[in-house]
Amino acid sequence: MNDMSTAEIAATTAPAKITARNVQVYYGATHAIKNVSVDILDKAVTAFIGPSGCGKSTFLRCINRMNDTISVCRVEGKIEIEGEDIYDRRVDPVQLRAKVGMVFQKPNPFPKSIYDNVAYGPKIHGLTRNKAELDEVVETSLKKAALWNEVKDRLASPGTGLSGGQQQRLCIARAIATHPEVLLMDEPCSALDPIATAQVEELIDELRSQFSVVIVTHSMQQAARVSQRTAMFHLGELVEIDATETIFTNPSHKKTQDYITGRYG
Amino acid sequence: MSDISHTVTAYDDELRFLSDRIAEMGGHAERMVDRAVTALIKGDHGLSRTIIADDAILDRWEREVVDKAILVIAKRQPMAKDLREIVGTMRIASDLERIGDLGKNIAKRTVAVSEVKQPLRLYRGVEALAELALLQLKEVLDIFANRKVEDITVLRDRDEDIDAKYTSLFRELLTYMMEDPRNISACTHLLFCAKNIERIGDHVTNIAETIHYMVTGLELKGERPKDDQHNAVVVAAK
Repeated sequence: MNDMSTAEIAATTAPAKITARNVQVYYGATHAIKNVSVDILDKAVTAFIGPSGCGKSTFLRCINRMNDTISVCRVEGKIEIEGEDIYDRRVDPVQLRAKVGMVFQKPNPFPKSIYDNVAYGPKIHGLTRNKAELDEVVETSLKKAALWNEVKDRLASPGTGLSGGQQQRLCIARAIATHPEVLLMDEPCSALDPIATAQVEELIDELRSQFSVVIVTHSMQQAARVSQRTAMFHLGELVEIDATETIFTNPSHKKTQDYITGRYG
Repeated sequence: MSDISHTVTAYDDELRFLSDRIAEMGGHAERMVDRAVTALIKGDHGLSRTIIADDAILDRWEREVVDKAILVIAKRQPMAKDLREIVGTMRIASDLERIGDLGKNIAKRTVAVSEVKQPLRLYRGVEALAELALLQLKEVLDIFANRKVEDITVLRDRDEDIDAKYTSLFRELLTYMMEDPRNISACTHLLFCAKNIERIGDHVTNIAETIHYMVTGLELKGERPKDDQHNAVVVAAK
């Protein structure tokens, strides 16, 4: 990305929540992310799009240091959340992940009750002082995830007994229970039917008022529907980032044009 | 269209169908207007009837373009350039259909105008105006085919010539009416024909602007020329 567009992005609206500069990721000898610099805004949804293997998920995983768990993976460059370098030696990745929540492609509730799924994070991070406070967090999180009304009478039932769409909303409730500032979503709707997808999209739209949301999606229409800004990745590089409406009506780069119109080789 | 094809080749076929249909509609509209003016000048009632019947084809093709375009949108969820292309196609189809209607309207007036044998000079202005408009239509269809958007500004500015010619023709026809009240009936019809041709020029300008948007994603810069002053024309009685 050139300096001009960085400046343009910086000038768009609110200050950036996440600032990435010259990020490189290597898996052994493979150079998976090549010099990516990008600003991600607060209280907005940013979509990452691009063909499979373009690095969008890898880059997403850098934001909460999920790549740390892969031994051959090496991250260079700088990623800051509100000015704090998240790769600083003093940063505890577990604490970081409480601040940067993540929702995965396949709903993955713990084999525990609905209640415990949501209570797990606040408990291990010691965010609540007593049962009443924990109850409160569970209720608020489930409400924010638009699931409360469907599960309030069976909080003790196993989370895995819910439908796919409900499970995914449970995972979102779990992710937001630790009061994160950033919510990362890696294809959160790819295993859901259109109705559950619509519910999750509606939820994303509501969550955006409180979080900085980053979503990786293979659905162009989803990116166009839920995000305000869209970043296009290709072969480990950031091709462009722009206002979503511009990307989907008149993108600047031919690679973006070809990809979103279904002309990718 | 892009130099690269879609991964789904049927999608390319669908887009090609739409642009081919626009080219056909354009050719058809052009012929209708050309022949309508010929029928008017020669007082050829047979020809004018053919043209009136021909308009149904344009109407049918326009509906077809819209139906197919909606189907493509539903099936493919087009993005960016493809989406602009499809929406542009629908708009152009509607402009071409209107051009056909205006041609048909000229053909319909043939009977009324030729009831009394008119001096040739009455038609000259209409003929010249039609030549200008037809040239514009031909060029805009060429631009649709070759996508040379750099030619659009010149084309749009030339619409000014049509407007100026129309204003002068308006004045001329008023003068004929005042010279001899027996001219009034024919001249009024000719005035409507002239107005129709001037409107065709406007539709050509619409099409040019649509093509510009389809190709570039941007609106054509600058104002449309507005030299149409016929609304202020007064010819004083002698």
